[in-house]
Amino acid sequence: MTADGGSVPAAVITGAASGIGAATAALFRRNGWRTAGLDLRPSDTDAPTECDVTDEAAVRAAVDAAAARFGRIDAAVTAAGYYEEGIDVCGITRPQWDAMLAVILGGTRNTCAAVLPHMLAAGRGSIIAISSELALGGSATDLHYVAAKGAVLGLVKSLAAELARTPVRVNAVAPGPTDTPLLVPDSPWREPGYLATLPLRRLVRPEEVAATVYYLATEGRTYCGEVLSPNAGAVI
Amino acid sequence: MPTAASPRRVAVVTGAAQGLGHATALRLAADGFTVAVNDISDDGRLAALAGRIGGLAVPGDIADPVAMTDLTAAVMAGFGRVDVLVANAAAMAMGPFLEQDPATWWRQVEVNLSGHFRLVQAVVPHMRAAAYGRIILIASGWGVIGHPNATAYAASKAGLIALAKGLARELAPDGILANAIAPSYVDTEQLQVDADDLGISLDEMRRRYRELIPTGELATVADVAGAVAFLAGPGGSAFVGQVLQPAGGVTRTRV
Repeated sequence: MTADGGSVPAAVITGAASGIGAATAALFRRNGWRTAGLDLRPSDTDAPTECDVTDEAAVRAAVDAAAARFGRIDAAVTAAGYYEEGIDVCGITRPQWDAMLAVILGGTRNTCAAVLPHMLAAGRGSIIAISSELALGGSATDLHYVAAKGAVLGLVKSLAAELARTPVRVNAVAPGPTDTPLLVPDSPWREPGYLATLPLRRLVRPEEVAATVYYLATEGRTYCGEVLSPNAGAVI
Repeated sequence: MPTAASPRRVAVVTGAAQGLGHATALRLAADGFTVAVNDISDDGRLAALAGRIGGLAVPGDIADPVAMTDLTAAVMAGFGRVDVLVANAAAMAMGPFLEQDPATWWRQVEVNLSGHFRLVQAVVPHMRAAAYGRIILIASGWGVIGHPNATAYAASKAGLIALAKGLARELAPDGILANAIAPSYVDTEQLQVDADDLGISLDEMRRRYRELIPTGELATVADVAGAVAFLAGPGGSAFVGQVLQPAGGVTRTRV
């Protein structure tokens, strides 16, 4: 017996306190889903858990608690991450490199490992990892971020292949530069000169990324290891 | 006398008499679009579909340039706007590259690629005037990875992908978003044609295609129509020059 009886779909969303994760949680809730938010800070979700996605045990505990409470986990969205730029390749320190990989790749890995037993047992599930157009197109002065986001794509494609014959789907969304707190007010990605190079001439809105995630979660059963790119034309 | 523009968004779907185009027209109508449907001729199915969804049936050969300007004119006369173009009609004829006669080879390119290019040319001025448009080109997984005995089809579909990317770059500043969808093995009437070509049963054809799909499942027309609806709807507003592959991983992962 579960608290919610398992009659309503439920999603686990990391990085749910801000930006893409928060927009995703808001959209899923508007559509009647229950949401569990994992973030360092409190999130506006049905089951907010303050935890670090690099902590495998903490992620597993939060996911198991969400599964017990909601009776099901239909979707997992891994949006937890942070951004650093303006660092020359030789200037990236070992701690900076390790921390970036631990959060972006490790957080995705930990979340997948925690939700998969529930999804496989239920015979349904959709994992959607947030990558970045920078992982497709490359970038400069943010190499550790780009490498971590690229590693996520490798994880997604391989996990998708590994699970292809199960009902669980694994895909990625690789947004273009998105108008979130990760882009500081004086970020080079906000400069008019850069925006003019985008075919769409503007930043992506977090709600547009959330809509892509929701589409994959609800109508994406035939996507297997794909990368969907709401990126304003940044990488075509 | 100019027609007052429809209050609802208007979509044009080519190749809508059956299969994917038919399902797409129904889905877009369910999502609130007024839909004009085209196929090479109307044996009654096109008019029946248009009647069912309160749309407009405009038969005509995609390869005929006059038919494409007539199609656009009919939509503008009927509804006063065209917001979405779904280029779905396709010609396919399997055959070894060196044995397929040039007329058969070029007919596929003419319909799939050149015909839709001319249709895009006809609708874009109206989209530009409205500073809004969504162009969705139905390509194919075979246009991504190729397929033996399908060189013309694969070339035409690869051409559509490149066309979507070029249009996207050129038209996005005008508010017109172009993207492609590359389905692979979809459970449509075409499977019976493929089965007949090979002299096997429909079930055996389905089994053979499933073996090529990592997920082991054929896509349904509803799956692909859902992708069209996503790109045509509010959620698709940051997609520019992308290729969606709702195909069970056919082109991405090895079986």
